[in-house]
Amino acid sequence: MIISALPPGFRTWAGAVLMILFSFLSLYHIRTLNRREPGNLIWTYLLWVSYFLAGFAVSRSAGHILKQILILSEHRELWDSIQAFSGTVNTFMLILVAATTLFFERVWQVYQGILNDRQALQSAHTELLLLNENLEKRVQDRTEALAQSEKQIAQADKLASIGQFSSGIAHEINNPLGIILGYTQLLQRDEKPGSEKYEDLKTIEKHVKNCKSIVEDLLSFARSSRPVQNAVCIHECMDDVLTFIRHRSKSENIEIIKEYDRSIPKMILDEKKIKQVIINLMMNAIHAICGKGSIRIRTVYESRENRVLIRLKDTGYGIEKKNLTKIFDPFFTTKPTGEGTGLGLAVSYGIIKNHGGEILAESEMGKGTEFTIILPLTGKNAVIGECHE
Amino acid sequence: MKIFFFIFFLIAGVLFLFSSPALATQSHGDPEGLYVHQLSHIFFVFSMGILIYWLRVRELVKEKGWKYIQYAAFFFILWTLDAFTAHLLDEQYRWVSVTRADRWYLRIDSAYSGLDIFYYIVKLDHLFCVPAMIFFYAGLKRLSQTTVSESEKRESQ
Repeated sequence: MIISALPPGFRTWAGAVLMILFSFLSLYHIRTLNRREPGNLIWTYLLWVSYFLAGFAVSRSAGHILKQILILSEHRELWDSIQAFSGTVNTFMLILVAATTLFFERVWQVYQGILNDRQALQSAHTELLLLNENLEKRVQDRTEALAQSEKQIAQADKLASIGQFSSGIAHEINNPLGIILGYTQLLQRDEKPGSEKYEDLKTIEKHVKNCKSIVEDLLSFARSSRPVQNAVCIHECMDDVLTFIRHRSKSENIEIIKEYDRSIPKMILDEKKIKQVIINLMMNAIHAICGKGSIRIRTVYESRENRVLIRLKDTGYGIEKKNLTKIFDPFFTTKPTGEGTGLGLAVSYGIIKNHGGEILAESEMGKGTEFTIILPLTGKNAVIGECHE
Repeated sequence: MKIFFFIFFLIAGVLFLFSSPALATQSHGDPEGLYVHQLSHIFFVFSMGILIYWLRVRELVKEKGWKYIQYAAFFFILWTLDAFTAHLLDEQYRWVSVTRADRWYLRIDSAYSGLDIFYYIVKLDHLFCVPAMIFFYAGLKRLSQTTVSESEKRESQ
């Protein structure tokens, strides 16, 4: 087959020039990139691949061009002597490109490792900075929390002592009161209803009953009475209280928001006592709101901690910080004389303690107060089934 | 101690002077260069194939720059297979020979009919290696552009 030498010649020239041109353009780009990010291993790797590819393109293309020139200018013997070197350099470059390319995966792994380390270092640095910045605040928060917990322990100790003391007195007073009440009622039988003596005895009876009620409250606070255990659905219990409160108190302008966690199971509780606690807290909230406002009642079942939280938050005038540590003390009240005995919260405290739980109060003046009752679902209040509401 | 050294060097000297030629250095004949070149083509195909494999496994080909580099590797494989075949025909088996009929014409002789045309087509290897080089260039250009725009974005933040 005889063919014109021009098309292959042109092809060789054009191809050779393009190979060299694009290999050097590649080299230019990767050098720019490598200069921009000198620490980037991938760019360094690609730079070396580009160097070898440029070497390969030059050796190959220069060989082709030189061959054409020397043969066309009838210097074939010169080409024969150069050919071996040109071919060797070309082979060497081809092997270098192949060998470098083969290490791509290893280089990529190292690069990723460097990136991960750099990122870890950066995040550790950021965390350290953050920690440094917040250290003072964290120390302050922890100190406050510690002080708060110390206050709570002191409060619990104080209430326990008061409880013991009250229990002793209550027992001592309860018996004579019973005798006074008994004799008063006996004397009443001999008197005509409506007579002056009868009315006097009635007054004695009424005040003795008041005293007995206070003594019973004191005993509740002292936790001396044994709770009656029932399987109770806490939401039903709370709804009963809310209905009762709606009928008995002036709470028309108060919005009651209920947020019940329906996953709360039935618990073993003294229903009457728990109702008494909720009534006490609700009455206090209504008194604190004093007109228009809202009471948010929320229940939360914390299955991981195996406990139930009952939160009562009002939008009332709040409790002064200095009084927060005293609110569970018996006979402590901020209400005017005659409006409260100061036993409501003390009794509630005793009842909840008797159920193995806790009652906490948080308040902000002008914004309201939130009471949190924590009832554990173990021991006395063990779960006995689901509530079907 | 000295006597031991003396005896050692004496024995070594005798063995060195009176031994027959071992011809331990291997000689490298004429076709070895061609074989090395052909092996280098095979090695080149292998390493480009491995590059494509890892680019795909690492999902780098989702990025345009690396996708172009993958295309470059693919065209380099085509080129090297083509060049390997050409070397096989004209230099290794010598089934095809090219001579100058005169200054402007070439004569292709082949051992089998139709092989000359096949050889002519195979010799168009620039059709593979030039696109390969262009794709490699495009890949690097794209990677460069992406990196520059990303770093500018970071700086502006």
